[in-house]
Amino acid sequence: MLRHIVQRLLNLIPLLFGVTLISFIIIQLSPGDFLSEMRLNPVVSSETVEAMRRNFGLDQPLHIQYLKWLRAIFLRGDLGYSFAYHVPVTWLIGSRLLNTLILNLAALVIAWLVAIPIGIHAATRQYSFSDNTLSMTAYLGISTPTFFSGLLLLLFAFKTRLLPIGGMTSLDYEFFPWYGKVLDVARHLVIPATVLAFTASAGLMRQMRGNLLEVLRQDYVRTARAKGLAERPVIYKHAVRNAINPLITIFGFEIGGLLSGSAILENVVGWPGLGRLILEALVQKDLYVVMGSLLIGSITLVLGNLVADILLAFADPRIRYD
Amino acid sequence: MTSTGSGPSRREAPGRRVLPRPMAALAEQRQRAMVSRPPLALAWRQLRKHRVALIGGVILIILYTMSLFGDFIAPYSLDYTDRERFFHPPTLPRVVDAEGRWHLRPFVYRTELVDPGLRKYRIVTDRTYPLDVFVRGEPHRLFWIFPTTLHLFGVDPAARLFLMGTDQFGRDLFTRILYGSRISLIIGVLAVGITIPIGLLYGGIAGYYGGRVDNIMMRLVEVIIAFPGFYLFLTLSAVLPTDVGCATRFYLIVIILSFLGWTGFSRLIRGFVLSLKEREFVLAAKAIGLDDLRIIIRHILPNTSSLVIVVATLSIPGAILGESGLSFIGFGIREPCASWGNLLTAGANLPNLAQSPWLLLPGVFIILAVVAYNFLGDGLRDAFDPRLRSS
Amino acid sequence: MRRMAIAVGVAAILLVGGIVPLGAQQPKLTLPGIPNPGVASYAPEIGKYGGTYVISQISDPRTFNPIVAQDTASTAVTGALFEALVDQDYLTGEIVPGLAESWTVSQDGRTWTFTLREGIKWSDGQPLTTEDVAFSAQAIFTDGVDNSAVDLLTFQDQPLRWRVLDKRRIQFITPRAICPVGIFLRLIGAIDVVPKHKLADALAKGGAEFNRTWGINVNPKELVGTGPFILQSYVPGQRLTLLRNPNYWSVDKRGQRLPYLTRYILLIVPNLEQSRLKFLAGETDFYSARPREFAELKAQERQGSFAVYDGPETFGSEFLVLNQNPAGVGSGGLTPAQLSWFQDVRFRRALNHAIDRNTIVQQVYAGRATPSWSPISVGNKLYVNTNVPQYPYNLDRAQQLLAEAGYRKGADGLLRDAQGNVVEFTLQTNAGNTDREAIGNILRQDFVKLGMRVTFAPEAFPSLVSKLTGSYRWQAIIIGLTGGIEPSSGRNVYLSSGDLHMWRPNQEKPVNEWEAEVDRLFEQAACETDQAKRKTLYARWQQIYSEQAPMMWFSNPKTQPAVRNTIGNIKLGLQGVTGTLETRYYKTVYK
Repeated sequence: MLRHIVQRLLNLIPLLFGVTLISFIIIQLSPGDFLSEMRLNPVVSSETVEAMRRNFGLDQPLHIQYLKWLRAIFLRGDLGYSFAYHVPVTWLIGSRLLNTLILNLAALVIAWLVAIPIGIHAATRQYSFSDNTLSMTAYLGISTPTFFSGLLLLLFAFKTRLLPIGGMTSLDYEFFPWYGKVLDVARHLVIPATVLAFTASAGLMRQMRGNLLEVLRQDYVRTARAKGLAERPVIYKHAVRNAINPLITIFGFEIGGLLSGSAILENVVGWPGLGRLILEALVQKDLYVVMGSLLIGSITLVLGNLVADILLAFADPRIRYD
Repeated sequence: MTSTGSGPSRREAPGRRVLPRPMAALAEQRQRAMVSRPPLALAWRQLRKHRVALIGGVILIILYTMSLFGDFIAPYSLDYTDRERFFHPPTLPRVVDAEGRWHLRPFVYRTELVDPGLRKYRIVTDRTYPLDVFVRGEPHRLFWIFPTTLHLFGVDPAARLFLMGTDQFGRDLFTRILYGSRISLIIGVLAVGITIPIGLLYGGIAGYYGGRVDNIMMRLVEVIIAFPGFYLFLTLSAVLPTDVGCATRFYLIVIILSFLGWTGFSRLIRGFVLSLKEREFVLAAKAIGLDDLRIIIRHILPNTSSLVIVVATLSIPGAILGESGLSFIGFGIREPCASWGNLLTAGANLPNLAQSPWLLLPGVFIILAVVAYNFLGDGLRDAFDPRLRSS
Repeated sequence: MRRMAIAVGVAAILLVGGIVPLGAQQPKLTLPGIPNPGVASYAPEIGKYGGTYVISQISDPRTFNPIVAQDTASTAVTGALFEALVDQDYLTGEIVPGLAESWTVSQDGRTWTFTLREGIKWSDGQPLTTEDVAFSAQAIFTDGVDNSAVDLLTFQDQPLRWRVLDKRRIQFITPRAICPVGIFLRLIGAIDVVPKHKLADALAKGGAEFNRTWGINVNPKELVGTGPFILQSYVPGQRLTLLRNPNYWSVDKRGQRLPYLTRYILLIVPNLEQSRLKFLAGETDFYSARPREFAELKAQERQGSFAVYDGPETFGSEFLVLNQNPAGVGSGGLTPAQLSWFQDVRFRRALNHAIDRNTIVQQVYAGRATPSWSPISVGNKLYVNTNVPQYPYNLDRAQQLLAEAGYRKGADGLLRDAQGNVVEFTLQTNAGNTDREAIGNILRQDFVKLGMRVTFAPEAFPSLVSKLTGSYRWQAIIIGLTGGIEPSSGRNVYLSSGDLHMWRPNQEKPVNEWEAEVDRLFEQAACETDQAKRKTLYARWQQIYSEQAPMMWFSNPKTQPAVRNTIGNIKLGLQGVTGTLETRYYKTVYK
């Protein structure tokens, strides 16, 4: 098992190398660079713009730019330097990483806490009124773009003034005691986390319901029932456990999406996360910020997949890695 | 993009990496069910019993018909701008006039701008403007070919028929939603139309040959899958030239959607083919000396047809959501072209929205189309494979 | 320190009340250690201490280093932390004393001597000296320091020089008599003075190192300034919190030390919508409303307890420009026929008559703009020439002008030139700017009515710029420029040799006689010390530009600042500025 994990981790290196190469090529395909805006400023001469180009290393051949960037990663874990912000990309990403993580984790926890019981409920009452209602709601959940539901909730907050409109903390955040800080962030989390959890739990609930229905059709369940076991233990002790197992993979994928799952929504509700950073960097052509964000996102993604595999191996004794 | 409607974490549309899982389950279970695969006729019978799927199908037929006849149904043209009537509320045809008299023919009243700052309009009730059918209006090309000025309905030009209100420039939202549907509804179909053949061939070859070929081919797929989907989607669209016409940009976005979509699908097909290639009919085909490509295309891939239909149907909503999200944040289809996503951008302005809630209507259309596809996709899945029935 | 300041303030009140009748000659106001502090004499009210003032801005600052800061998100912060030798009066645009209490200029106009106020301290307690001023100038001229002021401070290829006379006096020497005159003090006002004792090490390591110093990852304690506020904390993507600088060197009319506010917070929001929402929800105290929002905000004034002011026009404006550059002929750019139309002034005048400025004002700006006919904004009362030729919206007149110039409208409704080419071109603007997109739609519709075939294609800003300044392959563009008070700040645009002389940049020598005249006018005006004569010269230039119509201005949008009623000392100045930060105060302070 351990050997398998090490092997997988080693495989990630060429994979991530490919990711950086592809992202660099894509970004270079786009017209203009970070200095485009400055060129249209009446008070900046073209000489000054050229000097800044040299400062940023943008005058060098593309492959040199790329290799230099790559070398810095290997030698110092340095993701490069932001043209726009004059700070290392690692600092910039670091300042947003936690926020995105908090949002996605909150959504993930809510989604699982909501979806599993609802899924069980629906499966055990197949075709009942509540099952049908829940199924329709789930359809709506998987079909509503997050930016749309985000807009609706913001509108609600705007009209009722019950919740803060966007942002992550209040003005006096620094003066709050620790529990005040937690509550404050939680209050700001309500809208974005609800939006994300709505979509996520809709899918999860459908999956849970389907899995459980299938398990309930299995022979061993029938046998258990035939033997006269009570319905509740049959469902909760045997069926549910087996129905949850396949969801573990989903959990792994969700871990992989922790950093990139909320990109659009962050921009709609003003959550200070990575999604806003990368969008801004793309607009400004802040080369290494885009590259760094893509790389960090990819790393989380592949690690998430790995986690999924490992969890699955633990959950399902039939899977063995040699 | 090859996600299924049942994808568990449908967060940001194109970023869903989760999808392989339900599809893998699908493939796996399909293989188990192979022996007794119901023929198409049987599937159709199953589908007909699936009420939700039929509802989905009907909604889609209506939407696509509206899209096809869009310029004929639309009372105005795509860039018709009423400079006097921006953020104009919907003018719904009425049958009772200001004096309380009933009219057989629906009619509208004329409106006048009272306050441009507050967007206040006054309804002028001095005369009624009856709704006409088959009226002459602005020129357009029916089915992109036949030039005509005929519109399905309209009112006298002195009044306006803004069924869903107007946007910030005074353009008829209903008209723009109809034109926008041509982008939003077709983009998914086209993207999947590109994704499926590429995925089939790529996955087919990798699975059939296996070994080193498979290894190399799958590495490429893994690299692309390793990107957080929406980030890559954004980055790619930032590269697109912006000075091209609507049509070109539309096709470029289709290509981007396909670029992201083919990988998951080819993985699925590869796994499927991997398990098929040891079966008797393949061995037999090999034995009589058919060449590999022929075996893959003629003998192996046809076996995936029902899988393809289901996956395709369930992938389209992902593409629709992807396009709308991209256009919403200004990276996809841009003004002056209309897509459901960029029509919603005007609604992103919350204070405007609070005053002009009709700006949210494009979002309702997005949801409607995506729900319909998911209905249909689930129904198809159940119909093709009773063992996968989940509802 | 603050308590002491208040005590001094009380003493000053008594003094004023005892000796001088109201509003008469200013008594001598002092601060401990600062015998000659700045006096905010223009602030209408005497404020109270305390309170928090909250505003929002739509991006994160990019740096806290004022020498390197260029974008408004950064200068919004550094502006509160740092100051220059001289300041611009926001009400009149005049140059007034800042860190320097006075200055003199030598007979030949080349040597300027500035005297610092006595006793000014950095926020860490170190005294401010002329060494710091010299250091700041040196930073600007250091190779590799990202800075745009260097271009302005280089005169005919020779840099500005300076000499420290003593701790309080510094001389700036310009290579020749200063041209442009009007602008020199404004340039000095653009040099934010930074502390040598904090930044000397970084500058010694070179420009690249200096650019990174005081980046947004700096410890706020390191940021030492002379401005009214000091940075307390910065939370990326969320907010900046600034605190009152107890060492600030300016007082109100009663001699109380400014600023009044205890805290100044800048919220970072993702877009203007959020900015407006936060204001309407009462979370912020100030919102710079867009023209279209004026009436709506006005209606909510009472309910939201704020006031929206009917501000003057901004200095910036949007315009249409046609490519007249032969270098632009080629694929993706101009056809030879297009070049000949665009170079034909009759064609340009006809188009100008087809621009429906009233509709633009009504529809795009909801009436909150003034039609514009000149490169100088109506809001710039100092220089605008309102008597230039105008081109009222009149499609018949446009059609007639085109007919006179040999363009014919065919039976198919299409306009053709004398050679039979259909008049068609692509109109562009930067995508995402909804105002310009709206203007583009209006223009296109009217041009089409003239029989032209016009495609409107918004494009991303960077690639649009690379066309304008690099490849020259474009046809017609709607774009905007921001302006300063002095027209000479736009030399790069209006001189025929300018990089940004968009319709035909970098001319070796003027192609047209009228362009040669504009060049001469600018040179003359630059060295003209008499303000009235400068105004006449620039008036002639505006006349020529309007006649020749190389750029067709649409309108100057008005400003409409909205301020919460709890905030005091609001008085509208140029471009709708509502007052200065240090005199702003919170009317009701909660304890």
